[in-house]
Amino acid sequence: MTPVIANILMDKELAHKKEIADSQAALLNVLDDQKRDSEKILKKKAVDEAILASIGDGLVVVDKEGKITYVNQSFEKMLGWSSKEVLGKRIVAVVPREDEKGEVVPFNERILNRVLRGEVVVADLTNPFYYIRKDKTRFPSSSIVNSIVLDGEIIGVVETFRDITKEKEIDKAKTEFVSLASHQLRTPLSTINWYTEMLLTGDVGKLNAEQEKYLNEVYRGNQRMVGLVNALLSVSRMDLGTFIFEPEPTDIPLLVRSVLDEQMPHIIQKGITVFPALGTNIPLIQVDPKLLRMVVQNLLSNAIKYTPEKGKIEISLTLTNQKKCLLFTITDTGYGIPKNQQHKIFQKLFRADNVREKDTEGTGLGLYIAKAIIDNSGGKIWFESPSSNYVEGEENTGTTFYVELPCKLLEKNK
Amino acid sequence: MKRTSKKNRTILVLEDEQSLLGVIKAKLEKEGIRVLTSRSVEKAFSSDLKKSKSGGITLNSVKTALKHVEDLEQVDAIWLDHNLVGEENGLDFVTKFKRNAGHWSKIPIFVVSNTADPDLVKTYIRLGVNKYYVKAENRLDTIVADIHSSLSHA
Repeated sequence: MTPVIANILMDKELAHKKEIADSQAALLNVLDDQKRDSEKILKKKAVDEAILASIGDGLVVVDKEGKITYVNQSFEKMLGWSSKEVLGKRIVAVVPREDEKGEVVPFNERILNRVLRGEVVVADLTNPFYYIRKDKTRFPSSSIVNSIVLDGEIIGVVETFRDITKEKEIDKAKTEFVSLASHQLRTPLSTINWYTEMLLTGDVGKLNAEQEKYLNEVYRGNQRMVGLVNALLSVSRMDLGTFIFEPEPTDIPLLVRSVLDEQMPHIIQKGITVFPALGTNIPLIQVDPKLLRMVVQNLLSNAIKYTPEKGKIEISLTLTNQKKCLLFTITDTGYGIPKNQQHKIFQKLFRADNVREKDTEGTGLGLYIAKAIIDNSGGKIWFESPSSNYVEGEENTGTTFYVELPCKLLEKNK
Repeated sequence: MKRTSKKNRTILVLEDEQSLLGVIKAKLEKEGIRVLTSRSVEKAFSSDLKKSKSGGITLNSVKTALKHVEDLEQVDAIWLDHNLVGEENGLDFVTKFKRNAGHWSKIPIFVVSNTADPDLVKTYIRLGVNKYYVKAENRLDTIVADIHSSLSHA
């Protein structure tokens, strides 16, 4: 071998060794990076877990078979089960759910199972339920259940829930307060009512004309207060959601006629003519008659109040929409509702300027209550008032109110 | 008129508000009805017996009222408020009355209260009261006339 060739060979070997060394270094770098990345991922995982564990609401994750794969600390605290005790077990077995009366919700009706099956479940907030702890005590709970979807497939379900004992207590206190307040308000009103009545009927001596006049004003003022307290009580109950709807098959034409009879004295006093077209063959409809009565009373009394003497009121009941809906309309020849105030007419305590100028009485709550009742019954209430340019002596178009009771109510009775 | 038959009628009125008690008693007496009044179910019997000028007896408790009914009078009807002085309310009175009073339990009870809670009304009706009036929504003379006609048909 010549020195030249030996040198070349040595150079090649050096180069080769350098290559290997470089590769090794590169590999070590990659491994280092991977190690650092791994550490970062592990660290992030630890942080994520700490976050989940610390969530104030109870958290439980189940797999496709409904078996618990994760619970957080709040779950452990609220239910008394440690994570170890429940992992791998079926959630519906570990945490029974029951209603107010103590009846256990069966497995296949549990929201978790329904969501697993792909159902979209919307929580019924009016139906409180309770979770049972490890020690068999229970607490009222509110929960949100959602499916976990990965690559378009449901791989499990996650539920968050909280203990709403405090909220329920507050609600109960509010309801009792409203009840108590209305009773307390009504007592002095009754006292004024009855003593004034006795004075007016001459039970405690004869009155002169002026005394009678004054006492009548006192009585009327008091009656307005009574109406206001009743209205406030209704509004409170509605706002709190404690208004109970008790639907039953109701004869609506009969109901309307009865309200008409009730208000006849006032109608006659104002010389108003009523044209009732209460329909024939209207089937019984599933509504709460007490509440519907309030609506009809309000609409009729408004029509009477806001129509001047000798005016006209038309009432009709018809089946619409291929006989599946009931439409109640009431039209008057009264003052109408000013266009620029029409959007406020269903607001609490609102009364339009034109009727306030006319010095009529009203709480401004009647339509708010009526709308709340109809909305909650699944119906619709609206009105038309083309013009409020009331002209004395002419027949005016006044206002028409419409109430449509939902079609499905009729179908139930077919 | 029918005054003579009304003279013998006695009504027990249970009401916690003094002022209302006053006007109710006045109206009933104007109709010729004898009135016993009481504000609560609780207090002891003997120490609170007072005779008023007209010969009516005023009491201050429902326990007293119950004893009163047992011991003495022919009470033809009971006017009952729901809220009363003391721990027990109108519901307690009706329950006890219907349970303990033997043939008295046929005496008609008219509940006159300002509480309009539908569940409460249902409970009273279930216990067997004749009628439930909301004070603030009824004229005094209407309630009195109603009670009258039930008594005349008794």
